[in-house]
Amino acid sequence: MAAPSEARDEIMGRVRAALARVPIGPALPWELGAEARSPAPPGPPLDLDGKIARFRAMLERAGGHLHFAGSPEETTNAVREIANAAGARRILHSEDHRVLLRAAALEGEFTWVPHDEERAELLTCELGLTAAQWGVAETGTIVLESAAEHHRLASLLPPVHIALLDAPGLLETLDELLAAVGSEDPDDMSRTITMITGPSRTADIELTLVVGVHGPRELHVILLRGAGNPLA
Amino acid sequence: MTASGPPASFAARARAALGDDRLRQALGKATALFAARRRTALAEVPDWEELRQRAARIKREALNGLHHYLEQFAANAETAGAEIHWARDAAEACAIVSSIARRIGARHLVKAKSMTTEEIGLNAALERDGRLPVETDLGEWIIQLAGEPPSHIIVPAIHKSRADVAALFAAELGIPPTDDVAELTRAARVALRQRFAAAELGISGVNFAVAETGSILILENEGNARMATTLPRVHVAIVGIEKIVPRFEHLAVFLRLLPRSGTGQHLTTYQSILTGPSAIVGDEGPEELHIVLLDNGRTAMLASDETRPALACIRCGACLNACPVYREIGGHAYGSTYPGPIGAVITPLLAGLERGGDLAFASSLCGACREVCPVDIDLPGLLIELRSRVVEGRRRGELAGGRAAAFERRAIATWAWAMASPRRYRLLSRLARALPGPWRRGGRPGRLAARLIPALRAWGAARDLRPLAPRTFRDLWREDEG
Repeated sequence: MAAPSEARDEIMGRVRAALARVPIGPALPWELGAEARSPAPPGPPLDLDGKIARFRAMLERAGGHLHFAGSPEETTNAVREIANAAGARRILHSEDHRVLLRAAALEGEFTWVPHDEERAELLTCELGLTAAQWGVAETGTIVLESAAEHHRLASLLPPVHIALLDAPGLLETLDELLAAVGSEDPDDMSRTITMITGPSRTADIELTLVVGVHGPRELHVILLRGAGNPLA
Repeated sequence: MTASGPPASFAARARAALGDDRLRQALGKATALFAARRRTALAEVPDWEELRQRAARIKREALNGLHHYLEQFAANAETAGAEIHWARDAAEACAIVSSIARRIGARHLVKAKSMTTEEIGLNAALERDGRLPVETDLGEWIIQLAGEPPSHIIVPAIHKSRADVAALFAAELGIPPTDDVAELTRAARVALRQRFAAAELGISGVNFAVAETGSILILENEGNARMATTLPRVHVAIVGIEKIVPRFEHLAVFLRLLPRSGTGQHLTTYQSILTGPSAIVGDEGPEELHIVLLDNGRTAMLASDETRPALACIRCGACLNACPVYREIGGHAYGSTYPGPIGAVITPLLAGLERGGDLAFASSLCGACREVCPVDIDLPGLLIELRSRVVEGRRRGELAGGRAAAFERRAIATWAWAMASPRRYRLLSRLARALPGPWRRGGRPGRLAARLIPALRAWGAARDLRPLAPRTFRDLWREDEG
């Protein structure tokens, strides 16, 4: 089990002693409720078009690209075009059903490598295809949850990452996101929640921006607007 | 420390840094750039002051209720499958990581940038075991290859030019020298990929730990922290106990504040929220997650009402970029893990006044640091508090410099005595006019003063004495009246 509880007891003892004279309100630990959330954004909530416009502006500012697809065919075509433009042949993919649809549709055109292949195989892929469970308009961020799909390697190892985002998953603010992915019962939460805003970047040498240092150098988000079509 | 190591006093190190033109140029560029980007990024937030006051309240609550929140965090993280370790000091934390590395037989270790692991000297401890971790943040890796400490929290290798890096990579990686930064970065990607793929153990710090859910949050831009916390079989996170925030929803406040304050980005490229290890063995992500909760002087800071607020720091680096002292001398001169205004506060508190006390004087108390702090820490107030502790320690003979401190006290007491009475003030200003020429005419009082009063030597060395006007204001006033 854990480290010697002696250290734990001593540290907790020090913390309790340190705080012995701090006046503690009767409401603690729940004193900080809604008032400690971020201030509400000014103005009325954005509609879908407003959210898309903001999402696109912020994503592009971070160096990412937004594409639109109104039907399953358009989604498949968008994936094909991006992959061909990147010169990708091997695609590392998650098990999300929208992703699997593309793998089936483009089976002959690319080599599809599932997330649970050998590590060495995964490292040779030139493109990663996943879904994204959420988008955040405020910051141009996509959010991937491990409970929904195996996204960790597919969104990280290949030099190009495509994420398929359903329009209803597009939220306005970070507060909405945390309410959507968090839970008072940690067992109900995804083990890994990954937030991605643009391509991997560094400016560690002379403050010169370079993309694709450890993660992807290109991030493409395909927004699925096929309303009412579960297989869009 | 060898004889060729850095000079022992802050003043000597600062002098050395001031003589390094290239360092000062690079620092000037970086700090000005980040400060400007920060201002632009702030302008997008509807009510920045309101946001930072909320952040300050959350941190205050977290620290005032730390006994509760620490236990809550530990319990929830354990429920999620993480193993919690407690480390009273740096040595204990290093021993915990070493024993994990030994147990799993780790031969290759990778590390994501973490100030806390720098603070505890983790790399040196693991190296003694023959398990030196490879730093994987590009800047950190560069200075690890060069065998140097970081000079800036956000851009650790800011003191290195592209030519330096090219020469270093040519020697270490055997690539042809190039001054193309993208080319150099690609070479690093290739080299570090192999390290990631081979590593059995990944080491990271965290930015926030959430009591309510037992989650840890790591912010970064490069993706190396994601690699280091996904590819190896085991992940160890070193967490200072002050990193706790009470509730999951509180993260939104800090996600808005931290990147804007640090690099001026509206958000860093990646945020990883990790709650326990992978649910299933063989799944992607580590099978074991170890969280080391570190005290190392933090509970002592917690115990005093004066110093507790310094634990609210979220390590954004804004106070460094704003500080007129840091902007000139950079991180190395502080000789500590944490440089700049926040470093001048927490170094003496964590490492002791003997080792870090002189840093409290490395400030003009201009207040720029407090103005930019995203959690509103009263850094100038803390520096004054520390100065008084240093002076008190010297007076009691617990710290070196007791004689100078005693002289200073007497001098200030005399000054106060003279200034408190118009008659004494008049007498003294007349006396000053009767002093020898160099004093009356102004200039450096150094030589003469040093002969008369040795303790004035240091004070006079960098200050010009203003020449005294031939006639006093009082004389002129009287004439005018008459």
